[in-house]
Order: sequence, then structure tokens, then C-alpha cells
Amino acid sequence: MRKITLPLLAVGVSVTLTACLDAQQQDMKVTINKNPYPSSYQPLPQQTTLIKNATVLTGTGEKLENTDVLLQDGKIARLGKGISAAGALELDGAGKWLTPGIIDVHSHLGVYPSPSVGSHQDGNEMTAPNTSEVWAEHSVWPQDPGFEAARIGGVTTLQILPGSANLFGGRGVTLRNVPSITMQGMKFPDAPYGLKMACGENPKRVYGERKELPSTRMGNMAGYRSAWAKATEYKRAWEKYERDYAAGKNPQAPERDLTLDTLKGVLDGEILIHNHCYKAEEMAMMIDLGKEFNYHSGTFHHAVEAYKISDLLGDNGNCAAMWPDWWGFKMEAYDMVQENVAIVDAAKNSCAIVHSDSDSTIQRLNQEAGKILYRAKENGFDLSEADAVGWITLNPAKSLGISDKTGSVEVGKNADVVLWNRNPFSVYAQAEQVFVDGAKVYDRFDDKYQAKSDFLLGQK
Amino acid sequence: MRLFKTPLSRVALFLSAGIGAATLAIAPVSAKPLAITHANLHTVTEQGVLADATVIIEDGKILAINPQALPENLSADRIIDAGGKTLTPGFIASFNQLGLVEVSAVGESRDSGEKKADMTFDPSLAFNPRSSLIPYSRKGGITRSLVAPSGGDSIFKGQPFAVDLSGEFDSVVKSSLGVFVTIGGKAKGSRAFDLQTLWHKLEDRQKAVAKQKAKKAEKSKKEKNDDKEPKRDELILDALLAGEQPLFVYANRASDLLQLVKLKQTFKLDLVLVGAADAPLVAKQLAQAEVPVVINALRNLPESFDSLHASLATPAALAAAGVKVILSTSGDTHNLYQLRYQAGNAVANGLSPAQALASVTANAADAFGLDAGRIAVGQAADLVLWSGDPFELSTQVEKMWISGEEVGTSSRQDALRDRYLTKSELPKAYVK
Repeated sequence: MRKITLPLLAVGVSVTLTACLDAQQQDMKVTINKNPYPSSYQPLPQQTTLIKNATVLTGTGEKLENTDVLLQDGKIARLGKGISAAGALELDGAGKWLTPGIIDVHSHLGVYPSPSVGSHQDGNEMTAPNTSEVWAEHSVWPQDPGFEAARIGGVTTLQILPGSANLFGGRGVTLRNVPSITMQGMKFPDAPYGLKMACGENPKRVYGERKELPSTRMGNMAGYRSAWAKATEYKRAWEKYERDYAAGKNPQAPERDLTLDTLKGVLDGEILIHNHCYKAEEMAMMIDLGKEFNYHSGTFHHAVEAYKISDLLGDNGNCAAMWPDWWGFKMEAYDMVQENVAIVDAAKNSCAIVHSDSDSTIQRLNQEAGKILYRAKENGFDLSEADAVGWITLNPAKSLGISDKTGSVEVGKNADVVLWNRNPFSVYAQAEQVFVDGAKVYDRFDDKYQAKSDFLLGQK
Repeated sequence: MRLFKTPLSRVALFLSAGIGAATLAIAPVSAKPLAITHANLHTVTEQGVLADATVIIEDGKILAINPQALPENLSADRIIDAGGKTLTPGFIASFNQLGLVEVSAVGESRDSGEKKADMTFDPSLAFNPRSSLIPYSRKGGITRSLVAPSGGDSIFKGQPFAVDLSGEFDSVVKSSLGVFVTIGGKAKGSRAFDLQTLWHKLEDRQKAVAKQKAKKAEKSKKEKNDDKEPKRDELILDALLAGEQPLFVYANRASDLLQLVKLKQTFKLDLVLVGAADAPLVAKQLAQAEVPVVINALRNLPESFDSLHASLATPAALAAAGVKVILSTSGDTHNLYQLRYQAGNAVANGLSPAQALASVTANAADAFGLDAGRIAVGQAADLVLWSGDPFELSTQVEKMWISGEEVGTSSRQDALRDRYLTKSELPKAYVK
């Protein structure tokens, strides 16, 4: 077999022959393409739309009665009373409620799609405790009928995460909830990547049964620390390369490592942590782990015991993504309280989120938030609908690093809105119209705006 | 004292039953009558909704509705003014593992299944009325549940049983309540074999019994017969074939549902279908055959090729076709309390509020053979007083009674919440 003489690290690099002829010259600089599967998302066809006299929950804590909202050129153009706009399609919002589009920070749609058959199980690369090299976006099946169902429930943006078998499960991707043939056609432009981490029972069970590390919670921590130590070296090697190259030297680039690329992305502040972590003492350790290796520990998902450490989460700027009531399916979910979200929300500098992790409850995140709102009110919390909507809109947008673009009804933001037939925190509430970037993507009363997955087409 | 509106003889019967009880001296509180007045009463009977109504409870049962006068022996502290709020029968949950599973992932806390389980498997022996799931489930106004085994390798998963949610050690109301079978697509093998197994079991037993009868008739002419004692599973099959006990079958695909209808008609079974995702495709046949269905109202994704037509509109479509619908939360038992939200979502998708209420009360009681689920004289006094519309997220249970005894909804979860909301100089562990 012929020996390959060219360096193998030329991924994403173009090497010109002339550069090699002159020894004094530097080799072409090695750079890593951080966005090799770029978004090709385009908003659907749209018409300037003026929604009149709705009850508007802004997502920023305000409730505005009899208010008009103008959606123009994909943005929320105006918000107030008595707005008129020539040529705009007017919708009567009287008696109806308008909220920002719902955002779910924790979904497995597309990677665990319906039908849930063996050949569709693409969400959990359960082959090593650290699979930071896998990207959920490479598993997404855009034809999952669950996307349509979630859209009917007002979900306009969602993060698809890999599963929780591993200490590091891989990268998550943030999608617009629009029908598309390709994953790229749904990809939220310029949203940061997320890295899924998992605490506790899942990794220790999966790898413990295989008699490899981790089989205990201390093994979990050892696994994280080893990985971050390696990533720190990797980052240092790349920085040295950059420095030397800038100084006119001709250094050899570090060997490309896809696993460490992702972890380095976190250390560089470009990739956000999304950590499946239920228990108070484990979340506290994950916060310290972030400090040890100089990254931010991000959002804790499932966070059943977040109420026990609400101040710590606020002090450290962590979001907590929670269910209203899931519990008891394993020991780390035993200490649920229905007011968890409300207690976290009450802390200073809080970021409380209601998430689904479910192809069913993603369709009713408004009801999920409603359960918390009412149970908390019964137990003395001073909360309103205006507060509760933030748990499923602006706070998840913050967690995903997209709150400058979406998550609230504010002038200049993307026109991602839902028009509800009544108070969205009623069990009877239904989304009548859903807009993404100002384009109508769902209409309860118009078949033209009711997408159907290829999979369900023609099934008798 | 004015007379009761209800027939006197009936009232007299109940009164005398109470007074005549030999245990009067140590009678529990429930023996004393309780009156709930000024209730917006949802009877779930032909009487419908009665405004400003009065219910009298005695000895765990409903003694009277809207009497002309309150019972003489009623003490002032046994009168509850409902203040015009809604009073319904207690809700009935079904097909869960209440009291059999504490933490799903902890094997030692699970008693709902056994690899070798067959139709004789009776999990009621393991029922734990002190499970932390029970008081929490009461937050949903649930007073009774049909608990079902998860079984083992056999298609016969075992025998469901009925419990009340009082948390008392005697809360198993009825054990060995029929047989639970599952049919459908599976990773290895064919559903045809399972349907065949079910069919053959019934057919073979029916033939054997007929043969025995013929033999017996012949033998009795000559000598004393030497009949063998029937085996345990044979007795169960006999009860199914006699229509004395329901056969509960979990199945989803429309073609499977039709096979089961045929089975019911051939063997004259009391069939109840569970799951039934594709039931709307065969709603007419189910209605004609009078097969009630237990469904999850929130199931609407095509999660398998057996359930491509699951839809939020299913409860309304089935009810419109004349099928008796029973709503049930499927999956993990820990959130049984959400049953009322199932009903609410079914209403949002076309079921009438009255049908929705029946689907979590009377319809379930009828299908499972329980003397509950309605506010009617002689029924178990399982009642719930709601702060508002029972199906709404903003509503809570204000008071509830199981067999006439008031029960609370305070749970371990509430204790945890209060601990972490209490300011204390000592660690939280000292706050109780």
C-alpha cells in the first residue's frame, strides 16, 4: 500500500502547491469551519398583518389589554392602541389573547420521531460516556409528525437535544418549527449550539452495566473532569498555533479532534451547556465544575430539585428548565413539588423555564405553565399570566442565546406570535393562528395552513 | 320534621339499617349523617345538574338527595355549606399501577409485573395503601381506581382490581376483577398468534365444559361421577364465558378491534377495550356491539403503525357514535391527578362537558362493576367539592369524601414545598 504523505489534518483546509515551494513562506493557515451545515431557513410567504384589540402577554412581564400588534417584514413593527396600517390584513383579536411563540428548550422531535420504531431511534449515541462529537442535527428527521402537532400547540422554536445516556451526549440544535424537507431548512439562523451533559442515574447505569467508568456518581464527576482537562489542553494547543502563526512562524496545527472541538467551543463561550441534572447537590457540583474549568454551567434541565437551591442558581446565572409535575419515575425525580418553577422564579436574577422533553406535552406547554401558575397562587405566590408566559417564551430564549431575536412581543423582534382563542392558561385554550417571522405557519380554521407530514399523507 | 322527597320506604330502610346495626356503640363518624347543602350538584344520572341541592350521606352511602328536611339526628357540625360550588362524584382512574409502584425505576418498589404472570396473577395482594402516590392523586379528585397488572411474557397480564384512595388498609374494594390481555404489533412474532391463543383458550374451555356436562348427564344415570376440581385458570375462563367478569383487552389497530368484537359476540363476553387508538375507524361497530373503550384523550401522535389515527378528536367522535368512553391517563402512574385535565382537553376538542364528566365517573363505574360514579341514593358517597370547573387548570379540590369519610389532599410534595419556603436559621432538615 502506498504511503500517504500529505498531512491528514487538512479537513476544511485548502492547500496550494505554490505555498509548499517556498520554505520561508507559511503554510496555508488551518482554520476549522464552525458552521459546515449552515441554515438555509427562509421565512414562509407573508403578508403584513395587524392584529387588533387582543389581550397581549408580552413575555416581559406585561399584560396589555385591547392592544394592536403589527407584523411587518418579519418583525413586530408596532405595538399599541389604535394602530392602523395601510394594506395590512386585519385580524380581530377582541376576546383573544396574543403571546410570543412558545419555545421549548428540550425536545427530541425528529431524533425520536413518531412512529417510534427501532429504525427511528436516533437520539442517544450510547456507545461512549463522552460523545461530544455527535450532533443532534445529523439525526433529525424533518418529517416527524410531532413537529406539526407542536406547531398546533403554538411552538415556534425548539431545541433538539441528544439523549441523556452519556456524560456528554453531543450537540443540540435550535430549529424554527416550520415544515421543511431538510434539517438546514429549519435551522434557526445564527443560534448558538448547545452541548448536552447528563448527571446522575443515567450515565452511571448505562456504563456501570458495562463495567466501565462511570458506574457511580463520583465516576460521573471524574469523567467530566478528565474531559474538560483534555479540552483545556486542546484549546491551549490551538491558541498556541494561532499565536505562533500570527507571529510569522510556520507551526504545525494541532490534530483535529471532533470531540474536543465541541468542548473547546464551550470553553470559548460559543457553545452553551444544557445539563440534564435533577438533584440539588449535583447541580451545585456542576456549577463548581464549570468554575474549575472556566466555563458557564448553563441551563439545568429536568431540575426537579431546583427549588432547594434557587438562590444558588440565581447567584450563578443559571437557568433551570423544569416540568410542573413529572416525578417518581426514578429516585432523582422523587422530590418533586408543583411549585418548583415558581420558587426558582422568585429568586433574584432567576431564569425559570418550563420544558417538555415530550412529544405530547410539547403540544401543551401553555397548560404546563398554567398548572404551575395556579398551584403557586394557591400557595401564596404573587404571580399572574404575564409572569407565567415568560417561562415558555423569553426565559427559554435566554437559555438558547436567542433572546435578542425572539421570545417576547417587543418592537423590532422577530414576529413569532400565537393568537389564542382565550386565556392560554385555560385547559380549553387553543391556538388559532401561529406566526413565525411574520409568516402564518398554522391556522386552526384554514386547511391551507395545516401542514401534514409526508409520513401521514395517504394513510387510510 | 318535614318528609324527605325521596320515597319514604327507601329512606326508612336506610335509616333502620344504620340504627339497627349491632356495632352502633362503636360506629365510626360516618355512621352519623352528614349534609352537604347549597351544592351545584352534578349527579351524572338522568337528574342531571341540580342547582342549590342538598345531599345526605350516612354509613358511607348517599342516603338522600334534596330531602324535604334534614335528618333529625344531624348535628350542626355535620352540615357543610357548599356555597353554590360544584359537587361531583369522585373521579375513577383506571389502568394504572397505583399502590403497586412507588418509584418506577426502582425494581424493589415495583410489584405490578412478574415474568411468569398469567391470567391467575392477582397483584392486589401487593397493594400498598400508604404509597405517596395516593394522597397526591387525590388532588385530582380521584376517589377510586381500577389498578391493572403489567404482567409478564404471556398475553394474559393478570387480574385488575379496584381500590379506593382513602389510604386505609382496607382500601381494596374488589379484587380479581376480570382478566387483562394485550394484543398488537410486536418486535418478534405475530399478533395473529396472540389472537389465536386468546380465541383457543376460550373455545377449548367452552368445549370442555360442554363435554363435561354431557358426560355428567350420562354418568348420573349410572353412578356417582368422579369430577376433577377445575383448575384456577379454568374457573377464571368460566367467569369470562359466563359474562360474569370483564375481559379487558389492550389493542389499538382497527383490524384488531374488529377481531375482538367478533370474539365478544361469539363467546358472549363482557368486553372492555383499552388503548383503542384507531377506534374512530370502527366506532359504529363498537357502538353496535356495546363495547366500552378506555382511552387517553391526549394521545394524538402516530407512535406506531397500530395507532396512525390517534387524535385529540377521538373521545368526541366515539361518544357521538354512541360508544361509552372512559378516559384514563396512560403511562406513568405518578400523575393520575391529571385525569381531570384529560377531560378538559377532550371538551376543548368536542366532547360535551356532561359526557366528559361521565367518562371519568359513571362510565368507568359501569364498565368495572363499581357501586360508585354517580350521585344517587344508595351509591358509595364518593364526592368532590371543587373551587370551580372541575376540568380547569385554575380549579382545585376544596373537599372530598370517600365512602362518606372526608379525606385530604395534603401530600409529601406539600411538606417538601413548605419546608423549602420556610425561613430557618438551622438547616432545612430541622423544618418539619
